[in-house]
Amino acid sequence: MKTYVKYFALHISLFISYSQVLYAEEVDTNAAYEKDAWPQTGSSDSVSEDDYFGEVPKVLTVSRLSQSKADAPSAVTVIDHETIRAAGIVDLAEIFRLVPGFYVAKNAGFIYNSNHVVSYHGMASAYPGSMQVLINGRSVYTPLFGGVQWSELPISIDDIDRIEITRGPNAASYGANSFFGVINIITKNPADSLGSSVKLTHGDGRNEAFYRHAGEIDDFNYRVTVGYREDDGLENRNDFKRTQLLNVQADKRLNATNEIDFELGITGGERADGEAVKDNRFFVPRTRDILNHYELVRWRHNVSDDSDFSLQAYHSLNSSDDQITTVNLRPFLPAVPALLSATLQINNDIEMERFDIEAQHTFAPANNLRVVWGGNIRLDTTFAPYWLGTSATDHFNLQRLFGHAEWRINDQFLMNIGSMVEHNDFTGTDISPRASLNFKLTPNQTLRLGISSATRTPNYIEEKFNNPILIPTTTPASYLIQTFADTGDVNPERILSKEIGYLGQMGNLNVDARLFDDEIRDVLNTKRMTLTLPPTIVLAGQLPRIYFNGTDAQVRGFETQIKYRLFKQTQIIANYAHVKISGDKTLPTDFTISMPENTFSALITHQFDSNWDASYAFYQTGAVSALGDGAPVGLNRRSDVRLARKFVVNRASGEVSLAVENLFNEHYHEYALYNTLGRRAVINCNLDF
Amino acid sequence: MILSYFRYRKRLAKWIAYSALILSLAAPIFAHAYTGVTIVINAPTATNLEFVEYFKNELVSTKNTNLRVNVVVLQESEKLVVAENSELVIALGVKALEASSRLKYTTPVLGVFTPLPVFNDLLAKSRRELGNFSAIVLDQPYSRQLSLIRAILPEAKKVGVLLGTVSSQYMDVIKDEGEERGFSVLDETVYQEAELIPKLKKLLENTDALLAVPDGLIYNRETAQPILLTSYRHQKPMFGYSQSYVRAGALASVYSSGKQMAKQAAEIAVKSQQAPSLLPPPQIPKYFSVTLNYQVAHSLNIPLMDEEALYKKMLEAEAIENQGHEEIRH
Repeated sequence: MKTYVKYFALHISLFISYSQVLYAEEVDTNAAYEKDAWPQTGSSDSVSEDDYFGEVPKVLTVSRLSQSKADAPSAVTVIDHETIRAAGIVDLAEIFRLVPGFYVAKNAGFIYNSNHVVSYHGMASAYPGSMQVLINGRSVYTPLFGGVQWSELPISIDDIDRIEITRGPNAASYGANSFFGVINIITKNPADSLGSSVKLTHGDGRNEAFYRHAGEIDDFNYRVTVGYREDDGLENRNDFKRTQLLNVQADKRLNATNEIDFELGITGGERADGEAVKDNRFFVPRTRDILNHYELVRWRHNVSDDSDFSLQAYHSLNSSDDQITTVNLRPFLPAVPALLSATLQINNDIEMERFDIEAQHTFAPANNLRVVWGGNIRLDTTFAPYWLGTSATDHFNLQRLFGHAEWRINDQFLMNIGSMVEHNDFTGTDISPRASLNFKLTPNQTLRLGISSATRTPNYIEEKFNNPILIPTTTPASYLIQTFADTGDVNPERILSKEIGYLGQMGNLNVDARLFDDEIRDVLNTKRMTLTLPPTIVLAGQLPRIYFNGTDAQVRGFETQIKYRLFKQTQIIANYAHVKISGDKTLPTDFTISMPENTFSALITHQFDSNWDASYAFYQTGAVSALGDGAPVGLNRRSDVRLARKFVVNRASGEVSLAVENLFNEHYHEYALYNTLGRRAVINCNLDF
Repeated sequence: MILSYFRYRKRLAKWIAYSALILSLAAPIFAHAYTGVTIVINAPTATNLEFVEYFKNELVSTKNTNLRVNVVVLQESEKLVVAENSELVIALGVKALEASSRLKYTTPVLGVFTPLPVFNDLLAKSRRELGNFSAIVLDQPYSRQLSLIRAILPEAKKVGVLLGTVSSQYMDVIKDEGEERGFSVLDETVYQEAELIPKLKKLLENTDALLAVPDGLIYNRETAQPILLTSYRHQKPMFGYSQSYVRAGALASVYSSGKQMAKQAAEIAVKSQQAPSLLPPPQIPKYFSVTLNYQVAHSLNIPLMDEEALYKKMLEAEAIENQGHEEIRH
């Protein structure tokens, strides 16, 4: 009886509202008893047993579920779109200033680059290649110089859902070149932002216009983004950029277990490069055209409750047209009696193409075990006559097998083990294993011990940079200018990274801290080489350089990210990193100072009410001298502010914001002394309808 | 006893409801003991056949073999024929209950596998009395669902619910039940499909968990994917109302299996055998289970005990709550 009473009482709480409705309906519908008089809600919107017993397609499949930070084998920083918005950035690369251990610099180079330098833990150069960068699983790491042409990515910042940054090598999951870390940019799902949106930005030397439309037709979701960006660049540099971009992302659910994703992107425009510095003979101020595009298709198949398969194929092409006429070379070659022509034509056209297929299988053979394994084949072709010293297109093949297992030993201990085997045309076969053990001190505090290895495949510049420039004269002899003469027998750099990580949540405070000790073997370095020349060729200027595997380097330090919710409406994110690079006597000083010893950044956001919010970002970077074209620059501090107001007009909503970069207008340098930064402000207006 | 329960609630509307309940129970009745049970099913689905089997087993195991069990598969074109008055009709699912509601006024009909709002509609539409038209509804009580959330997320403060035009009637109940367990329940009502995801996002930004309340406008085949993905992207767990939702990606759910429903139905059949027109009022599922998605829990870094332990914890919570209610009654 007692149980009956218990359940009857429980049932009453459900039943009360039922009776109310019953009562109301009996009164209201007194006269109407015909079938048609009954409200349609009873049949169309109403539920039936199918809602309870019917199959719901598996959505959070084993491959869609990412590891929680506490279970991950490395330190992971996640930057969500709210943080991106609050940071008030216009250039995507700027956001990485908010990741501990990163060095980000604006750079206007003069050869093939007016892009940001984004590096982690040093070895920064104009083309930092020590990190893998992916957009939705597609590698945008370029084979020629390594690194990423940040301003040429066919992506709008507003389409980004989040950026996951693995701090530490992760070759087992992402392949070679996941050396110091991995940046994985994940865009929003088309179904997430249905409707249209317009965004206009205007400010100091900067204009942008974007239009986005996302819609759904049955099980087909799509999003199309078109945009135009223009950036006048730094005041004292020839580095303007004009960019048009188109991005399409779509997915089609075929049935409960199969889905197809499509992506397409095009970036085109103009890039100003070059500088009339004193001894610049070739890379004079000029404008080159760029055209990049990519196409991707991905099939996701849900094999069973605990097993997923995906197959992805993409093609990408990055090209730059750059025909250079040098300056008058006669003053540079006073000893040469008679040049056939005072100037030379240099063909600096570049075309890089990539074909990539990857298969991946994720499954959970037991409740406490999750495995992902797969394979990947890639073909990179590179046409770069100036850099490779040939007008033939070079082919680079890569095959990769990878596997990773997450083993939940018990509630306290979790182990990650993984490995990758890669074979490529440059360096043959390499194996990169890793292992880590996560220990939960309490449900909210995790200690992580990790050891991970990775390789960095030499890029084309390190492997095949060979640029003999012959200057014909009226005599039978030609004069040779050559900066590099690679012979292509360098080995990959190897990293062995050991770390102790801590993750903790105490009330409103989140801490991510990490002590690391990385050993980098066979650091690539350059030296002068001797040339044996035929009698008809005379070397003008210095001997060319060659890349070789030098000594080892150690990168050690500490870094942390702290998130603290000060009040309900106020949040602080603070990052600090101390990084020390050292090596034996043969390690050139250049390397040891290629990362600021101390970096600090912070972002404070405050929500005044449902409409107004503001944020303040502070960045401090210690003295640093990047490799390559980089030069010593001193400690600098920068403050950015952003003020935004949301509004609603009829059925549309939007936001107007003002963002000021370098609020106090400190004239400081980044990367090299020729990049002088000042204050810049932009007004931004966004309308969703 | 019940009166004091209502006094505790202090709601006029509920007084009226209660009066309606008493009136319906006191309505004229025909007291023939029935000799058989006819189970009406729309189609021989696995769930329905499982129910029939467990129902029979339950009668055998409780030594009530004197009740004949007859199964009628509903043919939409034909008129449903049963031995009126002398049998209890157990209708499995909405269609079967709808057809059975058109049977003679005096035939006792017990709906099973029918959600409360539908039963509600059918009761009004058929103008039947509660005494011979009742149900074991599919809806799990909100108290139980909220206890589950409390058991899994001891520190959660805010629970979000997305309601549609049908489910919005339960808002007050959910809020009250939430308060009793230390939750403030935030709600958003969706009137058209286009509002769904924006309103869901708004909810997720301000809450610790999402409690799914069945409503055809909100939770259906098409919306399951965007709702689960959006919740996951916000790193907020969703508490579903079925095993399927947990398989699809919800963190946890209370549910009652066909076997559990059959046991409860058999108990009613036996108990009311001697007084066919005195069916108990519609009741919630008495027996239930807990189902969890450990993979989702790991990904969201939510520690989970095993299903059995969690179920026991909830039973204890229900027992304590009911003690509390009894104290109020004294």
